[in-house]
Amino acid sequence: MNKRILIITGDNLGLSREQIDYPDIEILKYPVLVDGNEYRQSAEYDAAWLVEKYVKEGVVAKSSSIIKGELIDVVEANKDRYDLIVHVVMSSVMSAATFAVAENVREMYKKTIPIINIDSRQLVTGVGNVLMGVIDIIKEHDDADDIVRLSQEIVHNTYSYMVVPDLNYLARGGRIGKAKALMGSVLRIIPILGLMGDDEEGIIVPLDRGRTFQQVNQKMIDLMKAKMAEKSATQIQRIILNDFGDNQEAVSDLKERLKSLPCKEMIHGKADLVAVVHCGPKAYFFAITV
Amino acid sequence: MTAHADNQMPEIKGIIENVYKYLHRRKEYINGLNVFPVPDGDTGLNMTLTMQGALANMPEYDGKIISNGEYLRDFAGQMLMNSRGCSGVILALYCHGLSEVIVNGDFSPANIHKALENGYQKAYQGTDNPREGTILTLMYAFKEKFGELMAEEEDFAAIIRKCIPHLKSVLDKTPDMLPVLKQAGVVDSGGAGFLIILEGLEREINFKQSNGGEVRASTILNAIKNIRKQIQSSTSNIKNNHLGGLHINGGLEKINNIKLRDIISDFQHYSGNMLNQSKKKLLKEAWLNDLKEMESTWDPHIQYRYCTEFVVKSDKISSQEEIRQLVEGYGDSVIVLNSSDLYKVHIHTNKPDAVFTDVAKYGELVFTKVDDMKKQHRNFISHDTIEYERESSIFCIVSGLGFKKILEELGADHVFCYGKKKPSVEQLVKAINQLKAKNVIAAADDQDILMSLKYAASLCKSNVQIVESKSVISLISMLMAASNDLNVNNMSFISKLNDIRYCGISRAVRETKAADGTIVKKGDFFTIYDHNIICSGKHIKEVAVQSIEKLAQNENLVTLYKGIPAKKDNSLLPELRSLFPDKEFEEYYGGQYQYHYYITFE
Repeated sequence: MNKRILIITGDNLGLSREQIDYPDIEILKYPVLVDGNEYRQSAEYDAAWLVEKYVKEGVVAKSSSIIKGELIDVVEANKDRYDLIVHVVMSSVMSAATFAVAENVREMYKKTIPIINIDSRQLVTGVGNVLMGVIDIIKEHDDADDIVRLSQEIVHNTYSYMVVPDLNYLARGGRIGKAKALMGSVLRIIPILGLMGDDEEGIIVPLDRGRTFQQVNQKMIDLMKAKMAEKSATQIQRIILNDFGDNQEAVSDLKERLKSLPCKEMIHGKADLVAVVHCGPKAYFFAITV
Repeated sequence: MTAHADNQMPEIKGIIENVYKYLHRRKEYINGLNVFPVPDGDTGLNMTLTMQGALANMPEYDGKIISNGEYLRDFAGQMLMNSRGCSGVILALYCHGLSEVIVNGDFSPANIHKALENGYQKAYQGTDNPREGTILTLMYAFKEKFGELMAEEEDFAAIIRKCIPHLKSVLDKTPDMLPVLKQAGVVDSGGAGFLIILEGLEREINFKQSNGGEVRASTILNAIKNIRKQIQSSTSNIKNNHLGGLHINGGLEKINNIKLRDIISDFQHYSGNMLNQSKKKLLKEAWLNDLKEMESTWDPHIQYRYCTEFVVKSDKISSQEEIRQLVEGYGDSVIVLNSSDLYKVHIHTNKPDAVFTDVAKYGELVFTKVDDMKKQHRNFISHDTIEYERESSIFCIVSGLGFKKILEELGADHVFCYGKKKPSVEQLVKAINQLKAKNVIAAADDQDILMSLKYAASLCKSNVQIVESKSVISLISMLMAASNDLNVNNMSFISKLNDIRYCGISRAVRETKAADGTIVKKGDFFTIYDHNIICSGKHIKEVAVQSIEKLAQNENLVTLYKGIPAKKDNSLLPELRSLFPDKEFEEYYGGQYQYHYYITFE
């Protein structure tokens, strides 16, 4: 790699800084409003903190798009040190505002430094998967066109699976998509939601449902196997798993089941505040790239 | 035509959507003409569903600007994959052929003529045993007339407008080309559907209105009966009578069944004339023969009962011909479509399962559909024909109101709650017919209802697939596995019937003996699991505890579904929670009459 390439991304990617093997990266923090007060992800205000606030205090939380000024600050501070900036952005369907900010800044700096905005079409661990895939590409290629083309393949082959026991959190954030159909059942059901990279609409879809976490875990494994067969994939390139630490039995069960799949790398990542805002307590999720 | 700058969607999108609506409104008229290849009365529905399926699956394009030609290409691709029935498949092939040429965005008459030629060739080549007097004849006539008119018109909209009267005359001649049409007194239904699509297109382009008369098959059959009676009784004038729903006060020209119109006209003309008895007798015999012939056409011998379609994804099949050879021994009306490694096949057969089993050896079946044409035919010729409004529905029959609500929320389209009294066949037929679905999956919470349900299925107007479920818990298990947007592509959820283990607790109405020889006294509670009494006792709590101890294995979730006999009991759940702290308990009201509780283990 001859070019100096900076990667920018948001902190709702399901990975801690230490889990990302790339030195030149800037991670922007999404603002989260809890009962009207703004917080950013930190050692003090993390996923477990917000889960506790939800459970014990019944707070209302919401997230906001990235702040344009903060993105400009990052670009401004680095524009002379790098030849190219690659910004891995959360799904433009889920947050059109964030993608618009990224595009706006790219336009502002088009005469100064080239910026590639990669629409991950994903949330949380899905963004993490796309980011890690893009890093793999950048380690091998520095031509902008190659990076764009190969990144699109990563986006297309990345699939998120989410267990969200209470869909009300997702509904409040306006990101429930077609999973709305699973709301309001008399029977307690645990939905499995998906965000499929090869789905043209790019919205959250209900994939299946179960009554127990063990059931939904097995169903997710079956769904993944079906997806691999559909894509004629013999191996999963990467799995990134997230949880909030409040549903350990279910997550351990899932991890055991995931181990049965052929996978090059499995990362138990770190969930962030935004994930808790939209998924609520006891949720857990992972994304795969095939 | 150009792409609209305001919404970035091409003009052709709106045109196609409006043509679809135009066709949809006239589908019953087309259904009413359907006698070839099988009089199952669904040509209009199949053509409509083909367009509807294609529209529903069109990509969003995410604000990307696409041309009319590109949109038509994508629409044609979706038509191929969503095509239904013979006419739907032929229409899809035709559209695919058109789009291959028009994808270049050239809407000049010369290019459209080229597209019409290609569309016809694709449809013709893709049809097994192509016949004159069908939709193919109309497609051929259209491209021929279009080519002829190109010399005098430069505007393709004007050419289409001028083609329509000619195509109407060709359609009117289809009975002369296909004897079965003549016998039934109708024009070809696929051809009529094709003409309606062109009329809709012409209307869209030229903002013109058009009209069409509609007479159902059942009305025609009724009219035949009435006319026969009047001929036999030598009534001289039927002008002001109602012939079983066929009103002729407005003039015979409004009757769109050519043969029936001719018979009534002849009858009215000759019966009042001063003809001698032998001449009258001969005429009567001729009319009665014609009527009999018409009746037999509408009630034919259906050699191959099931209209079967599937899509197989295969890298082992190298050509359309190969898959055609694989299936053609099973029936007739074979049509094969191909797109990369996907093959869509339509066939009329008596052995759909055998076809699927054979084809599955070569790849993955990603879609299957089986329509019972005998049943559709019965619906078609009946007096109370149902206009199907959806492809598939789930119908459940349960005793408890609580379960009714649970199942509805899990995705059942209709849940019939029978309370204490098992439903009658008549009630079931009525409930299934009210769904207005072409295919119905029906399941009951009690095996005693199966006989009635099977009989009801034979009487109702839909293709009914009966799921032999044992209890309401089986229905919950089945529906938990069903997707919310139920379609015929994936019926695997039916195999999930027995995924939830359960038992039922009831009270003995007389003394009985358990499988292990234990005596259950009158008034005692007992638990039934897998048809056997596994425990009993004086108190419901002790029986419930014994049941959970015996039956709960690795399952964490124990759910109580409370029945009417235990409606006021609020003590069992907290007691079980304290006795089994490692288990998670939930309780719901099921409202069943027989069992105090169903207990499930998940």
